[in-house]
Amino acid sequence: MGEAKSDILQGTLDLMVLQTLDAMGPLHGYGIARRIEQISEDVLQLNQGTIYASLLRLQQRRWISASWGTSDNNRKAKFYAITRAGRKQLAAEAQNWERISGVIVRLLRLAER
Amino acid sequence: MPAWLAIAISRIRGLLLARRLDDDFDCEVEAHLAMLTEENVRRGMPLDEARRAASIRFGGPVQIKEQQRTDRNLPFIETTMQDIRYGLRALRKHPAYSAVAIATLAIGIGAGTAVFSVAGAVLLRPLPYAEPDRLVRIFETNPLKNWTRNIASPANYADWQSQNKVFTDVAAYEQFNSNGSGANDVFLTGQGEPQGLKSLGVTGNLFRTLGTAPLLGRTFTDEETFEGKARVAILSNGIWQSVFAGDPGIVGRTVALSGRTYDVVGVMPRDFFFPGRDVQIWLPVAYQPSIFTRSRRPHWLGVVGRLRPGVSIQQAQAEMDTIARGLERQYPDTNTQMGVRLETLHGSLAFEPRPALLMLSGAVGVLFLIVCANLANLQLGRASVRTRELTIRRALGAGRRRLARQLLTESLVISVSGGVLGFGLAVLARAALVRLAASTIPLFAEVRLDRSVVLFDVALSLIAPVVFGVIPALRSSRPEGLNERSDAVSRDARFLRGALVAAEVALSVVLVVGAVLLVRSLMRLQAVDPGFDQEHVVTFKLTLPTARYPGNVERLRAWLEIDRRLREVPGVQAAGAASTLALRGFTWTGDSTVEGRAENDYERELRHKSVTPDYFKAMGIPLIAGRNVDDRDGIDQPAVTVVNQALAQQYFRGADPIGKRITFGRPQDRAPWITIVGVVADEKQDGLDKVVQPQVYSSVRQQMQNPLTFALRSNLDEASVVAAARREVQAVDRDLALTSVTTMKAVVDESMGDHRFRTALLSVFAGVALFLAALGIYGVLAYFVSQRSRELGIRLALGAKPKALFQMVVTQGMRPVAVGATVGLLGAVALTTLMQSLLFGVGAIDPATYAVATVTLTAISLAACAIPALRATRVDPLVALRDE
Repeated sequence: MGEAKSDILQGTLDLMVLQTLDAMGPLHGYGIARRIEQISEDVLQLNQGTIYASLLRLQQRRWISASWGTSDNNRKAKFYAITRAGRKQLAAEAQNWERISGVIVRLLRLAER
Repeated sequence: MPAWLAIAISRIRGLLLARRLDDDFDCEVEAHLAMLTEENVRRGMPLDEARRAASIRFGGPVQIKEQQRTDRNLPFIETTMQDIRYGLRALRKHPAYSAVAIATLAIGIGAGTAVFSVAGAVLLRPLPYAEPDRLVRIFETNPLKNWTRNIASPANYADWQSQNKVFTDVAAYEQFNSNGSGANDVFLTGQGEPQGLKSLGVTGNLFRTLGTAPLLGRTFTDEETFEGKARVAILSNGIWQSVFAGDPGIVGRTVALSGRTYDVVGVMPRDFFFPGRDVQIWLPVAYQPSIFTRSRRPHWLGVVGRLRPGVSIQQAQAEMDTIARGLERQYPDTNTQMGVRLETLHGSLAFEPRPALLMLSGAVGVLFLIVCANLANLQLGRASVRTRELTIRRALGAGRRRLARQLLTESLVISVSGGVLGFGLAVLARAALVRLAASTIPLFAEVRLDRSVVLFDVALSLIAPVVFGVIPALRSSRPEGLNERSDAVSRDARFLRGALVAAEVALSVVLVVGAVLLVRSLMRLQAVDPGFDQEHVVTFKLTLPTARYPGNVERLRAWLEIDRRLREVPGVQAAGAASTLALRGFTWTGDSTVEGRAENDYERELRHKSVTPDYFKAMGIPLIAGRNVDDRDGIDQPAVTVVNQALAQQYFRGADPIGKRITFGRPQDRAPWITIVGVVADEKQDGLDKVVQPQVYSSVRQQMQNPLTFALRSNLDEASVVAAARREVQAVDRDLALTSVTTMKAVVDESMGDHRFRTALLSVFAGVALFLAALGIYGVLAYFVSQRSRELGIRLALGAKPKALFQMVVTQGMRPVAVGATVGLLGAVALTTLMQSLLFGVGAIDPATYAVATVTLTAISLAACAIPALRATRVDPLVALRDE
């Protein structure tokens, strides 16, 4: 009986995290948050903490794994890495996303006329 | 692995490792914040500002952590735990409410569990035999003799066994006395002091029919039924342990029983019994084969059959009816109108206690409903007090379902506490129940607090909150709650509480009427004249072993010697013996013919007792006319007998029986004539509540019986009388032992045991029910007065008479009582007619009972109303107004 949240937003964040980890290799939470902010050229101003809800969701589904390690400046941090199941999910989700965004783009163009 | 499963596993892990994962995440967040802070410092912020900015950028570490915790766990369990914690806290904060609620529930659940532990043991627990559902008792029926469930004659049993195609096996056991399980006294010698044991004679196939494997050795074979092959014995687990110290080599050893030796061939497992737990050793019946072909008139066998697979008891009944009709044609002399009745074995064992146990189960169910109604009422009362709290919770965003769930969880917390306490009560009640329930708990049942009892207690604890918690929870979580001010109560809340009180009153009335009926029955029963003087009489049983007393001559010599010695004991006013003691049923019955009657006009089921001369004097049974049988009436003298008043009235229809002659047989039997020399008062035979049947008393000289039960009248204390008697008996035969040693007072008491048990239990239930109903009435009315204290204050200030206010409040309180009492009295009429068979001397629809119940209820209800009503008259107008 949890509170309902916007599934689309959640899904988007999850997809971005997966993509980031796929592209960059293992990263800690701060690194993932920074990377997403950079890529989005600070269009997406997210509370960095919300990244952890997404990380937990992905871990629960076994799409990413986590382990403690040491960061560049010698700080103990938890590193996340994409799993094989995560890659498969990413491929499927990315395809799905492109298809849907294609439809939406076309729809919006039609509406403009 | 499917995603949902992975999530579930992960969440369960989250629940189990909550503490560690919390710490883990704390570290992770710390690290993240540190990195953010460093970045800010690199951009040139001062450290403390850098920290603050990091925290903002992160988005509230505390909320994030909280969110993480929720997402990680199973939210359902997490919330439930939270509700339970909250419920416990709420209980601690309102100790008075909690104590009342938990105590009430403990009584309801405890009483239910205690009654279940007895009723379940008798009615539900499966018998310790293979496929016990396929075992049936086979009775003889005969309308001519008023038999509905009679023991069978050996020849009829043998014909049933050989002619049927519906049973895999039909077996039999001896039941010589109408009272008890049919066990005989035998004496084990060669193991120190001679030891009295209860033995049961069975046919060789009985154990095979029951289908229980022995723990050691084997069971009997078919040939061992018969004389010559029958010196074998099977031990119960109990005596194997106690007498033979669990000797693993016991099988093959011989034991001496009443002067004969038997080979022990088997030991039964611990849970096994047949037909009652009192039987300690099983022996073959040891008959000559001719018994099973010729003995068609005397009846002494209990018969058990095992249904073939796929045969229903109805089909078996139909087949046995056909066989019985065949036997009736073949043997009209003995089998006219002789039918057969089948009952499941379990049903026949539980036949007597069943009605009382069902009544008590019903009563305890009613009590449970009252408890629930009372709690619902308490909760509604508390909910209206809690309106403010609940409103705030709603305002803070708690959904309706969430609130209802929280309230239900609180109910569950109360109920489980009550269940735990109730189980404790049931444990305490067990000993008392077992002692009180002497004859309501039959010999076969063992009252244990086993797993089924625990499960029943748990089930009640879980059902209770559903019954009492749902309505208050749904009501309190209603959206209107938001608009309610804490002191304004909706009309229907008041109606609901009134309705609950009415229901409690109605249910209580049913219990009170039932209890009063039983109390009046018991009083009637206690007033019954047993026909003898129960004070100062000690009794015991003696059995002469056949091995040393093979014939009547030896037996008579022993009986007369013992009788003479007992009469001469100093301090003993009178001593005598009878083959069956008063209130202990009968040993044998038979046909009888009065001289001068037509050829087919004869009496059936005449009861026989053999007595020594002073039996009547010792028992205090008055001689009404004529004389006793005495020492003159020897074996070589004319046969004489003494009859009871019931016989005098029924057989002689008002004529004087003294000097008349009867036979112990039908006219065509040409039995010898016996002269009636005296009439004695009716001693009760089967129970104080049973009608006395015609009975003859013959001298033991002319009509030998063994065993005999002696009765000694003396003002000395029981122990010294018994000690003196034992001395005299063992002076005659060192190896004789006194069994069933008791007093007549105890015998009378015991015969009322089951009446007393159900009366005591139902009275307790009714008392608790009344108390709870009063509590309910009081609670609702007290609340009503406190709610309207302002109005009452204004009325008083404006000059209303306190008396008028008092009346107003009492009227308000008595309204649901009147409704409930009316419904309850009508319900009692319907329900108590079901308990007619448990009553004695009062009808179920007994005006006096209903009057007593109504008056009691009214008095208690008025008392419950009086306290809040008095408070209403003492409201201080100023205080009431300032309250606003």
